[in-house]
Amino acid sequence: MRIPAQRRGAADTASTLPARRGGPVRFRSSRPDLLLCGALLLAIVLVQGWNITNFPTLSDDEGTYLAQAWAVQQGRGLAHYTYWYDHPPLGWIQIAGLTYLPSLFVPDSMTVAPMRFSMLAVSAASAVLLYVLARRLRLPRWAAGLAMGLFGLSPLSVVLQREIFLDNIAVMWMLLAFCLAASPSRHLWHHFASGLAAATAVLTKETMLVVLPALLVTMWRHSHRDTRKFAVTGAVTACALIGLTYPLYALLNAELLPGSGHVSLVDGITYQMGRAGSGFILDPGSGSHGVFESWLYYDTVLPLGGLAGAVLLLTTTRWSVTARALAGPALAAVILGLVALRPSGYLPAMYVIQALPFLALVLAGGAASVTHAVLRRRRAPGERRVLAYGRWALVGVLAAAAAAYVLPRWYDGNRTALTVDANAPYRQAAAWLGREVPDPASTRVLVDDALWLDAVHHGFAPGPGAIWFYKADLDPAVTKTLPRGWQDIDYVVSSPTVRRDAVTLPNVKAALEHSTPVAVFGEGEDRIEIRRTDRVANGS
Amino acid sequence: MFICAVSLALFWMAAFTLWWQMHAWRTPETLASTRFDRPDGGGRLAFSLLLPARHEQAVLEHTIERLLESSHRDYEIIVIVGHDDPGTAEVAERAAARAPGLVRVITDHNEVKNKPKALNTALPHCRGDIVGVFDAEDQVHPELLSHVDHAFRATGADVVQGGVQLINFHSSWYSLRNCLEYFFWFRSRLHLHAEKGFIPLGGNTVFVRTEVLREAGGWDPNCLAEDCDLGVRLSSAGKKVVVAYDSDMVTREETPGSLVSLLKQRTRWNQGFLQVYRKKDWQRLPGRGQRWLARYTLMTPFMQATSGVVIPVNFAVAVLLDVPVGIAIVTFLPMITAMVTFVFEVVGLHDFGRQYGMRVRFTHYAKLVAGGPFYQVMLAGAAIRAVWREQRGRSDWELTSHTGAHLAGALASAATGRDSAVGGPAPTHVSASVTSREDSHQ
Repeated sequence: MRIPAQRRGAADTASTLPARRGGPVRFRSSRPDLLLCGALLLAIVLVQGWNITNFPTLSDDEGTYLAQAWAVQQGRGLAHYTYWYDHPPLGWIQIAGLTYLPSLFVPDSMTVAPMRFSMLAVSAASAVLLYVLARRLRLPRWAAGLAMGLFGLSPLSVVLQREIFLDNIAVMWMLLAFCLAASPSRHLWHHFASGLAAATAVLTKETMLVVLPALLVTMWRHSHRDTRKFAVTGAVTACALIGLTYPLYALLNAELLPGSGHVSLVDGITYQMGRAGSGFILDPGSGSHGVFESWLYYDTVLPLGGLAGAVLLLTTTRWSVTARALAGPALAAVILGLVALRPSGYLPAMYVIQALPFLALVLAGGAASVTHAVLRRRRAPGERRVLAYGRWALVGVLAAAAAAYVLPRWYDGNRTALTVDANAPYRQAAAWLGREVPDPASTRVLVDDALWLDAVHHGFAPGPGAIWFYKADLDPAVTKTLPRGWQDIDYVVSSPTVRRDAVTLPNVKAALEHSTPVAVFGEGEDRIEIRRTDRVANGS
Repeated sequence: MFICAVSLALFWMAAFTLWWQMHAWRTPETLASTRFDRPDGGGRLAFSLLLPARHEQAVLEHTIERLLESSHRDYEIIVIVGHDDPGTAEVAERAAARAPGLVRVITDHNEVKNKPKALNTALPHCRGDIVGVFDAEDQVHPELLSHVDHAFRATGADVVQGGVQLINFHSSWYSLRNCLEYFFWFRSRLHLHAEKGFIPLGGNTVFVRTEVLREAGGWDPNCLAEDCDLGVRLSSAGKKVVVAYDSDMVTREETPGSLVSLLKQRTRWNQGFLQVYRKKDWQRLPGRGQRWLARYTLMTPFMQATSGVVIPVNFAVAVLLDVPVGIAIVTFLPMITAMVTFVFEVVGLHDFGRQYGMRVRFTHYAKLVAGGPFYQVMLAGAAIRAVWREQRGRSDWELTSHTGAHLAGALASAATGRDSAVGGPAPTHVSASVTSREDSHQ
C-alpha cells in the first residue's frame, strides 16, 4: 500500500489527491474491507452491548433526553415540560424515532436502562462510517481497522457511547458529513448532502458547530478545482439553510426573542453561554479538571495520544501526505481541544464524545505514517534483505510495545464495563415505587430524570404527579400546583443528583428536610433514598 | 393540508429543476465531458452551413467573411434570402461572387416568411454530409467546424449542438439574468438532455446529418419553436444528440434590447413549447423516464410561472395565518430551494465571468439576487400570455427588438434578427454603438 506517504507537491495535492492512480476506495465492493469492518463491528457491538443496562450509572441527562423523546412519541410536544430551547430538539426527536418500535411493543421498556440498546445502533453506524471515512482519507486497510477499533473499543468510548447522549447521535451525523465531504466521486450532491448532514449534527447537538471548519477543510481538499466552487458553496448553503430552521421554528412560535411569559431561543442560548464555568481544565481544583480526570481514568491513549498526534499532523502538513489527508480530522481534534481549554468555559462530561472519532482517526493515521516511514523511507530498489527484515522487525517491536501499553489498561476498563452492576439501586428504587405506593395516580413524587419515566410507567401522572425535581422550583406551571411548597409533595426520591442540586432549589430542599427515608438502596454517596414527607406521616 | 401539498409539489419541482440545472457540475468528470474533444486534424465531413438572412445586409457580409476564415477544408455556405429583400440578396450575391463554390445564394419564394420555411427551402440544395444552422449575425469561431467534425466522428452522433451564449450581462438587470439562463442551459442542462435522450435543440450552432434531417422532413414550418420541435422529433426517432460547450468556441449573442421584447420573445418560446407539447411527438420516446422528462421540460415555463405566483402566496400564508408550526415549516421548503438556486446562480455568475474573462462586480451579484423575483414575474407574465395567445389561435411571430450593434461598432444594423426558441435572440457582439433592430418574420 503506497498511499500514506506518497511525495507530492503541496500545491497540487488539493485537487489531484483524490484522482490518484489506483482509484478511489469503493467500500461496498471490496470484500476484505467488508470482512474486516464486519468483524470489528461485531466486536464493538458485543463489547458495548454486553451489560449495557448495568454500567455506567444511569445519568440524569439520559433520563432527560429519553423523557423528552417519550413526550415526542406521545404527541405531548417537544418535552415533558415546557420546551425552553436548552438544546435543539432534533436529537431527541431522533431518539423518539429510534425507540419508537420497541416502546410500541413493550411500553414499559421506555425507560433509560433498556433504551440504551438503541444507542448500539448509533454506535454501530458511527463505527462503520469512521471506517469508511478512514478509507476515503486513504488510510491503508489495517489503519482504518485500527481507527475503528480505537473508536469503538476504547473503555472511554464504551462507557460514553452506551449512554443516551445527544452527542453520540451528533457524532454519527458529523461522520456522515465527513464521509460525504470526502466522497470519492466528488459529486456535487454528495457535498450538498454533506452540508445537510452537518446541519443535522449541529441541530442534534449545537456544540458540533465548532467542528464545521474542519469539515470545510476536508471538503476543500477532496473536491476538484473545477467544481469546488459549486461544491463548497452548495454545502455551506445547505448547512446554513437547514440550520436556520431552528431560529425559524422559534420565530414562528414567537419565541425567538426574550419576553415576559414565554421561553425564548435567545434566553436558551444566553443560559448555555452563561453557564457557570467549571474552571480551567489543567487547574487541579477545578470541576473541568475532575471531568478531565474521569476521562483519563478510562483511557489516556485516545485523548492524550490523539491530541498530541493531531497537533503533530497539523504542523507537518507540508511534508507528510498522511498529514494532509488527515488535516480535517486533525483540525477537528485540535479545535475541540482548544475549546476545552477555555479557562472560563463549562466542560460537561460528555464533551469528549464528539472528539473521539477524530482522535481515533488521527492516532491510526499516525500509526500508518510511522509504519510507512519505517518500512519504505529511503528504500533503494535493491535493498539488502537483512535491512528489509530489520525494518519489519522494528515495526513489530513498535506494535508490540504499543499493544503492551494499551491492551492491559483497556482490558481492565472494559472488564468493569462488562461486569459491574452500578444501577441496582435505581432499579430497586423504581420497583419500590411501583410496588409500595398504594395510589400512584394521586401521589406526587419528586424524582430525578433517570427515574421519571419509571414513575410514569408505574402510574404517576406525568408532569404534576411524577415531578422532575428541578421543575418543582423552576417551572411556573409546576410551582403553581404546589402552593404549600413541600407540603404538597408526598415522596422525594433522593438520588445523588437530587442531593447535589437541592442546595439551590428551595422546594426540593424543604422536601428533603421534612421527610424521612422509607427505603434506602445502595450505600454511601451513590445511595438512593425514597423519603416520605412528614405531611404524609402526619396524615395531614 | 392543501398548503402542505402545494408546498411539497413546489419543493419537488424546484428541487428537480435545480438538480438538472446543476448537471454539468455534478462531478469533475461530467464537467470535463461537456467540452469538445481536441480535434484529430483529419476533417473528413462536408458541411453545408445555412445562413437565413432577412434585412440583414449590414451584418451578413462580416458573418460570411468570418465563416470563410474557418480552418475546416470542406464546407459550403448557403445564404437564404427572401424574394422581397433585394438589399440582403445583393450582399449575398456579392459574397458568392467573391468566393465561388463556397458561398451560394438560395431565394425563398414563400409569401409568408419565417425561419423554418427558409431553412426548408434550402435543405434540398445542401450537398454536404452535415447541415449546420447559423443566424446572420453569428460570430463563428474558425475552429468550430473542425471540432464539430471531430465530435461527429468520435461519437457517431446524428446531431451536434454547440454552445450559444448571451454575453452582455452588464447591460441591464434582466440581461444579467438572461445571460445566466443561457449559461446554465447550454453549459449544463442541455448535456443532461443529451444524456437522457430527449433534447429541445437550440436554433443555431446546431449541426445535423443531412440524411437524418431529410428523413425527418426538415423543420416544421408552422411551429414557433421549430428548433425545439426538431430536437424532440429527432430524439423520439432515437437519434443520438451530442452537446459540446467550450467557452472560447460558443456563438456569442446579445439579449433583447428591452424588457418588452424579452417578454415577447419568451412568450413565443413558451407558445412554441406548448405547440410542441400538443404535437405529442414526444410521446413516441421509448423510455418512460424520457417521456416524463419531456413532459416536464415542455411544461417548465408554465410551472415556473405558477411557482412565481404561488411562492409569495404560500409565504404569506405561512407568516400571516395562524397555522401550526410544523405546517409553517413545510411551507418554507420551496423558499429553501429558491435560496439554494439563488446561491448557485451567484456562483454561476462568478464562473461565467471567469470563463469569459469579464469582471463581475458586487453590484452585479446584488442585481442578480434582487432581480430574481421580478424576473420570475416577467416569466410568469410571458407564460400566461403564451397560453392566452395559443387559446386564441394567434400563432404569428411577434416582433422582438434588440439593442446594440456589434462587430467592433462598424456595422450598425437596422436589419432583422431572427429568434429561435432556445437558440436565442438575434445575436450581436458587445460594442459601443446602440441601434434598434426588429424581428419581422411576416
